[in-house]
Amino acid sequence: MARNEELFNAVSGGKMDLVPELVQKELDAGAKPDEILQDSMIAAMREIGERFENEEAYVPEMLLAARAMQGGLSVLEPALAASGHEALGKVAIGTVKGDLHDIGKNLVSTMLSGAGYSVEDLGINCEVDKFAEAANKGAKVILCSALLTTTMPYMKEVIDHLKENNKDVKVIVGGAPVSQEFADSINADGYGEDANMAVKIVDKLYKAG
Amino acid sequence: MPIEGLKIIGESINDSVPSTNKLYKENNIEGIKDLAKLQEEKGAAYIDVNVGSRTPEFMAQMVKEVQSVTSKPLSIDSPDFNTVKAGLEAYDLEKAGGKIPVLNSISPLRTEMFDLLKTYNFIPILMVSERNINGKSSPNHTVEATFETAKYMHAELKKYADLPNDQIIFDVGIAPIASDMEGLTKRTVESIKRINQAPKFKGVHMSLGLSNFTVMLPSKCKDGTPVKSSLESAFLTLTVKNGLDMVIGSVKRKYRILDDSHPAMQCLNDVLQKDGFEILMRVQSFYS
Repeated sequence: MARNEELFNAVSGGKMDLVPELVQKELDAGAKPDEILQDSMIAAMREIGERFENEEAYVPEMLLAARAMQGGLSVLEPALAASGHEALGKVAIGTVKGDLHDIGKNLVSTMLSGAGYSVEDLGINCEVDKFAEAANKGAKVILCSALLTTTMPYMKEVIDHLKENNKDVKVIVGGAPVSQEFADSINADGYGEDANMAVKIVDKLYKAG
Repeated sequence: MPIEGLKIIGESINDSVPSTNKLYKENNIEGIKDLAKLQEEKGAAYIDVNVGSRTPEFMAQMVKEVQSVTSKPLSIDSPDFNTVKAGLEAYDLEKAGGKIPVLNSISPLRTEMFDLLKTYNFIPILMVSERNINGKSSPNHTVEATFETAKYMHAELKKYADLPNDQIIFDVGIAPIASDMEGLTKRTVESIKRINQAPKFKGVHMSLGLSNFTVMLPSKCKDGTPVKSSLESAFLTLTVKNGLDMVIGSVKRKYRILDDSHPAMQCLNDVLQKDGFEILMRVQSFYS
């Protein structure tokens, strides 16, 4: 199925009032739930992610698109479940211990959900145990966020623990003071400069794994 | 024209600013000193000095280096006790024309910093945007919680030193409006008013990190007019009259008092009346 332009535009344009009925119309017309999701809705969220990376869209647009997506999913989910649809993969994200900043973490979480992943949001101020528990519950990729130069070093503790106890899990780091250089220095599997880059890196790790 | 009575703590010398982080990494001390000079020239009342997680000795060195090129008092910026102590120890009161430094900032989890008041003279910034719950920090999302923390921090401070109110700064915190679905902008505006109206806080100073307000927004509206300086000025227009008299911010921004008919003022006034996604849609309609 080709994407439904109207639905695609409504999701990427954050039109919460239009998306649910457009999804219903597609279902009524006999479109497959999985294709509605992939070809129109996830495609729209990925488009918004690209625009964000290129500074053609900003955080409000991203959040409004994500809300429109959620509105569509509430209509689509029963049909998706009945069709045996599965998420792209399971990931978990949290802001590290001592750090209460959640905006960046929430954005990445939102964009990962929009891209089709099942995301467990561990919240802020997360100790090693919390990340480890998520890995034990099946998350294949763990994302750590920090906004302070003083909390950033805690990411290393998370990575060291996970590498020792959950060998298969991949860890991505991000946050304003974090750099590729820092990510490399603590043996992270990836660094997400912004929310869209984080999604791309998760894609890459999933394909590789 | 700058806003009368508003003092700016120049924010540039901060390890979390990428260009400054680069200067530190290259050990480009002259570059750091240039930042201090530039900020003094552009009207900063204080020069913030933040060295990230580098050593106390490095903080001491930076305080000396920065003071070698500016006569403005400094804002010693670190959450680490020993780093702050080294900065205060290195501080040369005479070079700053007798003006004592600011300590940026003391969170409810770090009240041991008050102990430094027994040895050093400084103006503490008390962070009241988060509170201490059983040794863990938790953000304050309501005016009442913010005000309670202000009372708590004020009382804690008094246990160590009997500072007059005009030697105390409260930082009520400010969240980015680009993602303000919880009405945190309103919380900040109302908290400033609440503290300003409390008799026991008569004469205190209030400050916040204003650049945080407009992060993640485009720099220009569709019509080419600036987004960030307008929204920040609108915020100041609503809060300076209620006692906000300092900001940790950029000396490059042209802060000014706006007329109620200015689009940024209309936007902010609307935002204060709205909830959830309505706030984002209103901000979006301002810049698009």
